[in-house]
Amino acid sequence: MKSIKSRLTLVSMVVLVMFMVLTAIALERAVVKRALQAEEDGLKLLVYSILAAVDRDASGRSVTVSGDRLFEPSLVTRNSGLYAQLFDRAKHELWRSESISVGFPPIERLELGKWRFDIVEHLATPYFRLGFALQWPDIDNRLRHYEVVVWRNAVGYFEQLTRFRQTLWAWLIVTIVLLLIVMYAVMRWSLRPLQAIGLEVKAIEDQQQTGFERNYPAEIAPLTENLNILLKREQYQRQRYRNAMDDLAHSLKTPLAVLTGLADQRSLQTAQLETLREQTERMNQIVSYQLQKATSVSDIRISKPVDLVAIIAKLKSALEKVYQEKGIRLSESLPAQMPLRIDEGDCLEVIGNLLDNAFKYGRERVELRGDTQEDRSFDLVIEDDGPGLEADEIEQILKRGARLDEATEGQGIGLAVVADIVESYNIEVDFGRAAIGGLRVSLRFQAAGAPAA
Amino acid sequence: MRAIVIEDDIDIQQQIVERLKTEGFAVDCADNGDEGLFLVREYPADVAIVDLGLPKMSGLEVINRIRDEGNDLPILILTARGRWQDKVEGLDAGADDYLVKPFHHEEMMARIRVLIRRASGWSDSRIVCAPVSLDTATQRTYVDERELELTAYEYKVLEYLMLHAGEVISKTTLTEHLYDDDKDNDSNVIEVFIRRLRQKLDPDEDLKPIETLRGRGYRFTLPRAEGVRDA
Repeated sequence: MKSIKSRLTLVSMVVLVMFMVLTAIALERAVVKRALQAEEDGLKLLVYSILAAVDRDASGRSVTVSGDRLFEPSLVTRNSGLYAQLFDRAKHELWRSESISVGFPPIERLELGKWRFDIVEHLATPYFRLGFALQWPDIDNRLRHYEVVVWRNAVGYFEQLTRFRQTLWAWLIVTIVLLLIVMYAVMRWSLRPLQAIGLEVKAIEDQQQTGFERNYPAEIAPLTENLNILLKREQYQRQRYRNAMDDLAHSLKTPLAVLTGLADQRSLQTAQLETLREQTERMNQIVSYQLQKATSVSDIRISKPVDLVAIIAKLKSALEKVYQEKGIRLSESLPAQMPLRIDEGDCLEVIGNLLDNAFKYGRERVELRGDTQEDRSFDLVIEDDGPGLEADEIEQILKRGARLDEATEGQGIGLAVVADIVESYNIEVDFGRAAIGGLRVSLRFQAAGAPAA
Repeated sequence: MRAIVIEDDIDIQQQIVERLKTEGFAVDCADNGDEGLFLVREYPADVAIVDLGLPKMSGLEVINRIRDEGNDLPILILTARGRWQDKVEGLDAGADDYLVKPFHHEEMMARIRVLIRRASGWSDSRIVCAPVSLDTATQRTYVDERELELTAYEYKVLEYLMLHAGEVISKTTLTEHLYDDDKDNDSNVIEVFIRRLRQKLDPDEDLKPIETLRGRGYRFTLPRAEGVRDA
């Protein structure tokens, strides 16, 4: 059971159905009981009126019932569905109503003075049956035993009961379904803010927004508000570290420049000069590398999509200016647009370093190819016709990481920075030998729409 | 050659100035953007070295203004920020090249020489107007295969004339581009240098490489071996 929604749906469904079924059963029972009671009462009344209409002869053996005093037309209409009989102690029939065509059997054991009401089947037809035994004194003051039994055809009752049951259950099912739909809707509606939170968290993860932006209900608002504060504080902290790092590195750069300048003056001893130069160079590389790392890696970037093609155009004009006299021929085949979700500065850094290397080490040709893949990711391949790099050199650069203090001048630092940035964006990168001789670097970018894993 | 250095860190500024002077440049310097822009407007220079982080007016702003005024002075930017974003911004604004701090002075000089050559339409470090050739990297001069012994000032005059081969260069322009303000810039000195150069370049007087246009200046007449300046 993964979602709250399905849990709530299941529980409420079970509870609702149980409640409805129990209600229905109770209701049905009450109705049946009430109907039987009414039936019994009706038949009792009939028994009383029969008893009131009884005329006996002196011996009490012969009994007649005066139709005029009965006030019950059903008893005088043949096969009306209401029947009455009178028996003596020996279960001999003393009288039967005119409605009876074929007689009913007497009740086997009937206690004196007690009503006996039941439903029986006679000749495949259900009947309500009420029996009553009583004693009347005869002329000799001897108590004589009589039994009155009334029958009422119950087919109509059962038909009605079935109809009632059908209607009851039909309505119940309709009600259950309606209630379930309403409950589901209410649940969806109530849980929608949670779903919205999920979407917003995803957007924050994908760096499309900085915090929770929607208005949430009172129960959830404190959570999102606090999360926003947390996010903001974290961003602020990150910015502070970044600025501190930036300031530190830049403030180191000026004295480094002075030292480098000093090393370039020729008044010092050559050996000291060399040491001074080496050490400044080393410090500089550490500073540069750490700075690049601090400002590029694992940093929340809320980036609008940038167009790789536009970035390349920018860099191309810059590099063609810088490497003007080298006369590098840059051939490029790029799609019209390559929208990426990446920080523009990072993108410039990656492509800038790679293209700069290609221009620097290429002899006369640099090739640039961009392709859009079917899954909307982009491939970018940069090739030059320079000396290239051996596999172990590439490996060295890629695994260098923080141990840049061993780096030497050249493709190293640029590529190490590229490797770092590329890793932080999950961009696939591959170095190899170009068809035109030098280094081949291929990058695979996720498209702007797709999140970077 | 005249260079303008706009850099607010006095140590670095002085190191650059020293180095440029050692290389024979006339140098003006400023430690803020405002003053730097003023220097660029007032003094004819061959190159400007501009730090991006300047007080009063940023380096980028200075470069933008220079370009907006239609001045195509070669500009080398110095920046502490090595990110490509900053480099591209600087180059986009109109700078011609960049150097990331800290830098080696050799590298700076090499870039400056390239920028100056390029501004005059030369792409190779060897400037050739046959049979005269000038190696700007080593500052050596040859006529055919014969190397000439030139003094620093003679070299500067010849380099300037050859960079602008085919153009008329006035005496004033020459003095402006070759001398610091505080130097004695008597125009007779130029005439002396020209006379000595003619003797050294053309002892037999059959080349006549430097033409005097009375009242207008001088022109290096030997044809360029490569592209004429098109700017």
